[in-house]
Amino acid sequence: MRLSSIMATAATAALIAGSATADVKFGALYPFSGQLALLGEESARGVEIAVEEVNANGGVQGEEVTLVRGDAVDNNQAIGEARRLIAREGVKAILGTYSSSRSIAASQVAELSGIPYFELGAVADEVTGRDLQYLYRTNPTAEDMGRMSVQMIVDEIAPALDKDPSEVRVGIIHEDSSYGTSVAGHQERFGEEAGLQIATVQGYPASTVDMSSLVLDLQGRDVDVVMQTSYQNDSVLFLQQANESGFKPAAIIGGGGGYSMVPTAEAVGTDVIEGVLDVDFTQYTVDPAYAPGMEDFVETYREKYGEEPRSGHSLNNYVGAMAIFAAIDGAESFEADAIVEAVEQIDIPEGETAAGYGIQFGENNQNERAKMMGMQWQDGKLLTVYPAEAATSEMRIGK
Amino acid sequence: MQTFLQIIANGLMLGGLFAIVAVGLTLIFGIVKVVNFAHGEFLMVGMYLTYLLTSGLGVHPYATAVAVIPILFVLGAVTQRLLIQPLMHARDEHIQIFATVGLSTALINLALLIFGADIANTPNYGVRSQIQIGSVRILEGQLWIFLAAILLVIGLQLFLARTNTGRAIRATAQNRAAARLMGINDRFIYVLTFGIGAACVGFGSALIAPLYPTSPTIGTYFVLIAFVIVVLGGLGSIPGAFFGALIIGLVDALSGFYIGSDLREAVVFGIFLVILILKPSGLFGTRVSQAHVSP
Repeated sequence: MRLSSIMATAATAALIAGSATADVKFGALYPFSGQLALLGEESARGVEIAVEEVNANGGVQGEEVTLVRGDAVDNNQAIGEARRLIAREGVKAILGTYSSSRSIAASQVAELSGIPYFELGAVADEVTGRDLQYLYRTNPTAEDMGRMSVQMIVDEIAPALDKDPSEVRVGIIHEDSSYGTSVAGHQERFGEEAGLQIATVQGYPASTVDMSSLVLDLQGRDVDVVMQTSYQNDSVLFLQQANESGFKPAAIIGGGGGYSMVPTAEAVGTDVIEGVLDVDFTQYTVDPAYAPGMEDFVETYREKYGEEPRSGHSLNNYVGAMAIFAAIDGAESFEADAIVEAVEQIDIPEGETAAGYGIQFGENNQNERAKMMGMQWQDGKLLTVYPAEAATSEMRIGK
Repeated sequence: MQTFLQIIANGLMLGGLFAIVAVGLTLIFGIVKVVNFAHGEFLMVGMYLTYLLTSGLGVHPYATAVAVIPILFVLGAVTQRLLIQPLMHARDEHIQIFATVGLSTALINLALLIFGADIANTPNYGVRSQIQIGSVRILEGQLWIFLAAILLVIGLQLFLARTNTGRAIRATAQNRAAARLMGINDRFIYVLTFGIGAACVGFGSALIAPLYPTSPTIGTYFVLIAFVIVVLGGLGSIPGAFFGALIIGLVDALSGFYIGSDLREAVVFGIFLVILILKPSGLFGTRVSQAHVSP
């Protein structure tokens, strides 16, 4: 009895001593297991690299940063993990989350606890705009995606087809969850503002196994451009079935997810995906002059993980995390209000981050300078083609 | 007219695809009386096996059926023996359903662990090439699936009608207690039936894998519609599953074009409800015996 109680006291003392020298903790809340694990992990790697870099340069406010992981495998667990990070781990802020629904759930917990929540990768509109005081988002959103795809049509595709934008017929198709629906809604709105002819807007369940009717419908409507917002399975299905029924619109613009990934290109074949456009987060084929630090990031990534980055998610999370840590470094303390005050002051112009876009928080604490990039599959590679200052290759539009 | 024919062809091919998944499910549903929520995951396992064998050994995906069918048979039989059978005498038989839900989740996450969330592409060896019949275009692989579904349905019907084992399976389905009194080993019959049901979807997966990218959740794409088909055709009816699948395939294709892709599920399920209201036992269903409930 006596011996064990002495040992327990010693252990407790060691724990207290340990925490006294402990560094400042931040939470990394991502889906590390389950369905979204692949890109959740990829996103978190960006934050890990940022932490390493920050610590190598003396940490934040002189303290070393420790990153505590929380696994947001579903919405409920996102809430539970956010509570654990805040109450048990005592993190000063949470960074996350890749998934919009997890972000919306977990950020409410953080808000009630008065802990800043930095969203670096979730795109849904609803993440910001809920009047949360401690939530900030650095990455571009569904609205930016819709805007960018319409800009590409107006600036590049219509001129290449020798058409006025008002003569371009556009078909918008999207998976029918809140992600696809909101991007498609923005595409329709920006498209109408730009005077495009919106021939149809159609949703379909992402778990569909057949899109032949939709392809026939688009064929019948004689559209010039198809915009699809989708996950991987339905991207593959649409590209294959469009190709097989001989449907060749002048341009197909994919939105994120499936369209940016190499396995998608392998699934449909490089000849089929040739020329297909894609709007997504900044990827690694962006012009390094426009995205300074991107190449160093890739090198660090390779050294640390022994493989190439699997998507642009890590880069975008890295950029967001670096800006946030830099701001917190200049804050007066780790108190939530001090952090928020410092973050409000961030003013990074376009072309000075590793993802290209600048950072300044505006209305609803959304980064007003966040931008998606326009890309195109050319000769089996996804190259950045729009906007011109970020492009490494010319957009190729047939006909 | 040309478009209409193309839609009909697409619908029939889709129906064949649904049929080949649903046949095994209806067998298990009708005879073992277990709602197997892991059926889609059996399909997923089969597709990954096809993928691994095709890309690893460099053989035609259809040839992998030789290995995939027995493996899936064993998977199904083991599921019945080790998971369902111990629960047969549970106070509430719905517990078996929850067990299959658990198995489904476990298999999906196992696949995530082994293969990751990314898609796996089975080399297609030309089965994605097109066949032109008049003005209608279909894929070679779709046609094979359609023909294979017909063969599978006829084969299973013959097996159930003409062989002693088949008769024993039907007897057990009709009245488990009476079948036991006749000297039929009902436990063995259940293990066998579950195995055959899984083997059917194994056969299907070798045909489906070259057409659809495989992912851990691919099964969930098929399983809900497969349940609808099984209920529509009549629980346990194999021809019912086949024709139910064709109806759902056609309705899906036609409503997807004429009504809009966002509403096609609503139409499919609406028609499903209407048929059930008019004919509650399903198109080919007979009154289901509850005799297995009593010991």
